[in-house]
Amino acid sequence: MNDISLSAITGFDSGPTVQLKELESDHIKFSLSNVDLSVANGIRRAMIADVPTMAIDLVEIETNTTVLTDEFIAHRLGLIPLTSTDVDKNFAYTRECNCTDYCNLCSVELNLNVKCTEDRTMEVTSRELISQNDNIVPVTIDDQDPGILIAKMRKGQELKLKCIAKKGTGKEHAKWSPVCGVGFDYDPYNKLRHTTYWIEDDEKTEWPLSENAKEEQPPIEGEPFDYNAVPNKFYYKFETTGSMEAKDVVLSSLNILQAKFDELRNELKREQNMNQYN
Amino acid sequence: MNIDGNENEAKLKILSSSSDEGCATFSISEEDHTLANALRYMIMKNPKVEYCGYSIPHPTEAKVNIRVQTSEETTAVEAMNKGLDDLIELCEHILVEYNEKLDLKNYKYDEGVFDTENKA
Ligand SMILES: [Zn+2]
Repeated sequence: MNDISLSAITGFDSGPTVQLKELESDHIKFSLSNVDLSVANGIRRAMIADVPTMAIDLVEIETNTTVLTDEFIAHRLGLIPLTSTDVDKNFAYTRECNCTDYCNLCSVELNLNVKCTEDRTMEVTSRELISQNDNIVPVTIDDQDPGILIAKMRKGQELKLKCIAKKGTGKEHAKWSPVCGVGFDYDPYNKLRHTTYWIEDDEKTEWPLSENAKEEQPPIEGEPFDYNAVPNKFYYKFETTGSMEAKDVVLSSLNILQAKFDELRNELKREQNMNQYN
Repeated sequence: MNIDGNENEAKLKILSSSSDEGCATFSISEEDHTLANALRYMIMKNPKVEYCGYSIPHPTEAKVNIRVQTSEETTAVEAMNKGLDDLIELCEHILVEYNEKLDLKNYKYDEGVFDTENKA
């Protein structure tokens, strides 16, 4: 495959190009050029809603004498990011698993058992969650990280529960999304007029230019509107919840997008074969 | 089984109203703008295709309908197949390109809070 054949298909001067600008394990900044808005937006949407992670989905509460209600705590537990590297390959969705309820192939058990015995406020954090699987544990950034606060207890209060973490995606519940908001920008000078700025007096002072503007040609004063122009450079910037590495979220989203098209292609073949015999 | 617990629902149905192979509506379950908009664009890029559009008939129903109308040089199913092939190739290209740029390691790298060696 070469750039020439691909650009003939996509209608851009060359094949898609990626520019990586910043990369940390939980943060990435890159741009994607020579693709259509629909494809670029598809990648953004796939990163938010289609990349699977693990998150607590079932909570069995044995004892809860804290001031927080069972469902309140269950909700908080669900939102705790769990390390989810390679969950895509290593786990099945419970709904597609062969088991009747849940099993090791589609879920991970985490237990929490704390009691406050001292005469002071005790903080129950995500660090107290004991996972049965060393690969799927609550996210902490380093040894000093106190973990995520789940509840506070006074002397005599107790919290004992069993959590079942399952594989899921952001389109079912945001707790499964590996990213916290994806910055997606194109046409920073708004030459294409895809947006109309709300202003009080002056657009230039009220809407400062995006940092991506330095990579594009500023508009020339009095330049006529180019109604044939299309966006072709897209700027992405996002942080993960810590459940996955930022570079892997991008990879995973591309693989998932490709798998979606491939699945449909197979379905189309199956449908064609079925019609032949009818 | 899909996300809504519907079993045995076909992923793809071809709804064609006439014997004309040049037009068809493809009804795809459990998909949304992520797939449909890119597919619409790619099918429309085919010069033998006269029209391609998509709609999500109802927001609470996980379904998209993609309408394809072609010239006599091709069929709607062929156009759909070509669109999917091209998108798979495009994804592959972006994947290769992205992996190449990752390997170059010429981006600003900062381990930040993950830099446990320097922090300890
Ligand atoms: Zn199972």
